[in-house]
Amino acid sequence: MARIELSGIQKKWGAVWGVRDVNIDIADKEFIVFLGPSGCGKTTTMRMIAGLEDPSEGQITVDGELMNEVDARDRDVAMVFQGYALYPNMTIYENIRFPLRMREVPKADHDRLVREAARMVELEEYLDRKPAALSGGQRQRAALARAIVRKPQCFLMDEPLSNLDAKLRQAMRVQIKHLQRQLKITTVYVTHDQIEAMTLADRIVIMEKGMIQQTGTPDEIYSDPANTFVAGFIGAPPMNLIPGELLGGTFRAPGIEIHDVKLTVDGKVTLGVRPEDCHVTPEAPNMTGTVYGVEPTGDMTFLTMRVGEHLIEVKADREYRRALDLPETVAFDRKRLYFFDTKGGQRLR
Amino acid sequence: MASQRRKRGESRVIRYIILGSWAVFCIAPVLWFLSIGFRPRTEIITPQPIYWPTFSLDAWHMIWSDWPMASYLRNSVLAIIGSVIIDLVLAIPAAYALSRYRFRGREDIGFYILSTRMMAPAIVAIPIFFLFRNMGLLDTIWALMLIYAAVNLSIVTWIIRSYMMDIPKELEDAARTDGASDLRILWEIIIPAVLPGIITAAVIAAIFAINEFLFTLLIASTKNAYTMSVALANFTGGSDGLIYNAIALVAFLAFVPVFIVVVAIQKHLSRGLTMGAVKG
Amino acid sequence: MTELSPNLSGAAKAAPAIRRRSKRMRAAFPYLLLTPAVLYLLMITLYPGVYAIYQSFFLVRFNSWTYIGFQNYIDLWNDREFWAALWNTLVIGSVALTLQCLLALTLAYHAYRDPWIKGWRIIFLVPMLFMPSAVAFMFKLAFMDARVVADLLMRVGVIENNIGWASSTFLSRMILIVADVWQWTPFLFIIFVAALQSQDEEVEEAARLDGASWFKIFWNISLPLMRPVIAVALVLRGIDITTMFANVFIITKGGPGGATETISYFIYRTGFKTFNFGYASAASVVMLILTVIIAQLVVKRAFHSGRE
Repeated sequence: MARIELSGIQKKWGAVWGVRDVNIDIADKEFIVFLGPSGCGKTTTMRMIAGLEDPSEGQITVDGELMNEVDARDRDVAMVFQGYALYPNMTIYENIRFPLRMREVPKADHDRLVREAARMVELEEYLDRKPAALSGGQRQRAALARAIVRKPQCFLMDEPLSNLDAKLRQAMRVQIKHLQRQLKITTVYVTHDQIEAMTLADRIVIMEKGMIQQTGTPDEIYSDPANTFVAGFIGAPPMNLIPGELLGGTFRAPGIEIHDVKLTVDGKVTLGVRPEDCHVTPEAPNMTGTVYGVEPTGDMTFLTMRVGEHLIEVKADREYRRALDLPETVAFDRKRLYFFDTKGGQRLR
Repeated sequence: MASQRRKRGESRVIRYIILGSWAVFCIAPVLWFLSIGFRPRTEIITPQPIYWPTFSLDAWHMIWSDWPMASYLRNSVLAIIGSVIIDLVLAIPAAYALSRYRFRGREDIGFYILSTRMMAPAIVAIPIFFLFRNMGLLDTIWALMLIYAAVNLSIVTWIIRSYMMDIPKELEDAARTDGASDLRILWEIIIPAVLPGIITAAVIAAIFAINEFLFTLLIASTKNAYTMSVALANFTGGSDGLIYNAIALVAFLAFVPVFIVVVAIQKHLSRGLTMGAVKG
Repeated sequence: MTELSPNLSGAAKAAPAIRRRSKRMRAAFPYLLLTPAVLYLLMITLYPGVYAIYQSFFLVRFNSWTYIGFQNYIDLWNDREFWAALWNTLVIGSVALTLQCLLALTLAYHAYRDPWIKGWRIIFLVPMLFMPSAVAFMFKLAFMDARVVADLLMRVGVIENNIGWASSTFLSRMILIVADVWQWTPFLFIIFVAALQSQDEEVEEAARLDGASWFKIFWNISLPLMRPVIAVALVLRGIDITTMFANVFIITKGGPGGATETISYFIYRTGFKTFNFGYASAASVVMLILTVIIAQLVVKRAFHSGRE
């Protein structure tokens, strides 16, 4: 059982804020992903769960027990690092065995447990090698095996895939998700890659500048963003954000006009609309502009339009072609429009 | 490296003249001194210097039969090994603390240790002499070990510290979450990772110990404690003065192992000599 | 990925009570690690330092100590030989240091991009690997006892008669300088070469394309970049030179009329030849004070700049 609760967590170094006012309840067996750009505080938060950093304020409890004073050695967490952190002077076998020795697991069980862990990551043939003799992906799996071997209450993973090439990353993503389901261990995963977050997470915690921007399932984050940061961070290509004015139910911006907007707020409002919710059509368009770029990718075409002073991304079908600088019109999917307060970035409902 | 060769082609002649001259300046005295070691004593100091002497192993036989060469050798070796062991035992934890922990006074303690490198032997020669005399340790290898260890401790500490600072912090974090105590981390992870640094430090300390002269001169008075460095001054005979062929031979005896070991670690040499300041 | 073996979690997963280790222990740990080394060093710096200071206030004759206050220091102040020793140390030291530095730089400049650098390095290393006392004997033999140098010079025609090395102030000092330069130029050379080799080749190539000569590149780019390294190396070597003892002891024994007596030899002589321990201790104390001053001013800055 590993329910983790962070309440009122703050971390400060001198005058510099690392993490501000973080409150999360992580359920047992949940796969939760901390997502955000560099420096947003996600790694620091995870290190506090691990015990490698102490929170300046706030409490960390696991299954109701306060963990603030417990040293990292004694917390039942296993961590997978970005650089794998395999012990270079030991064989893979010894690397995986290390936590068992440190936690005083009975010696008789060591061999069996190490081999099981190695089997789960398909590294049995490499047990005699040293880390330097392994490829990046193999080292990654070794690090995973070392984390698995003692069946901790919680996994912590700090951008474990970012040192791998794209293809390998994809394969490892699937394996990690599968492993977690099999082992049923609460997992906290840190990344800046939103695709990893979307595909792996039960829930995502988006952070920026040390604060949580939104917590929710991938669907919620994607379809129901809480502010412009979240909206712009998730999705590739990202959501188009266009500031304009909302007056009497009509949103207007240079080149854009939307009627019947069901919002009671008037004033400076930012429109958010995803590229896939923009459809090229001559009838009842919401947006008029000129073609700035046309990028066919095989399964579809990215159309970039110049609208007023903005460049708007539109996903068009794979056969779409049009010459540059010609005019074009686009209609929006009315069910998928988002409006944000221009000043604060908050979502308006 | 063909491109490099081409690049520097224009001053090649000058370059080889300069480097070559210095090479000759380095090696010629060595070869000459070597020849001194292998010639009869009568051919060393002559009205006209002899450049093509007759080969003779007189000196070799002499140092073993007329002098306690075996003792000199033994004393050097034991004093060196002992002092290096003392140094490693003290320096490795100290280097670990200085490199991987943050604590108040770290800079000051580090600088204090560094400053003992600058301590001229002459400054403490007299008190050390009295200290050992009062402790009854004069003319013992123990005294040599203790003083060599003290003189080299700062060097060994700082070299090892330099290598320890290269270890990524992730490694320690991983070990801590795996459940390892600080001492375990030091023993099983840090030390194996800095083994080249430890060897470099040991080699440099050993060389400085072989070379040590002033303290050894004061401490040693019989074959119980004379090391090769100071024993050279013992090779005197009768009215003729210094027996140079013996001196030369012993010089080479000490030179060969040092040469072999230094060539083996030459990659690390500049880092060792500057105590980590310059990474070769 | 294989199926989860039903026994993976078979290891009896009894939930142990969570140990809460004292955080204060952790904070004290680095100090504990440092204590043995620091104590050992204090033994060789603090204890002798205090002892020397104490002894310097006494007239020490074998086992009798007579308190004489600052008399030793006053005598030192008035002692021509003491000042001469300081002066000698300064002269011999600075000439030797400057020479070896220039030589090492020149050699490093020419050698560091040479394809045979490995070979040069080994050859140039050789002098440094002999025991300093052995090197001293070698030069004593070459210059003075066997007169080889004089003989060579005569053959080449530079001089006509034999040279009285030992009776000339200038020449005696020169022998000491030559011995030091011969043996320790490699020390600087190794360090300089390492520093030059670690510099970015591309910067040099860019300058070359801009039309700069090799020397100009060295003078304007490589050399300034090397400044912290040169500082560290010179400090280290400088410290060792000022403590020059073995060469003096073996070759000149203080030279003609004390002309080559370095401060270390002065202390040795007054302490162990004339057995005036209190006096020698006073000189040691003076040397200590000078060392501390230089440490604060020069070394701290050199090492901080050398450490990036």
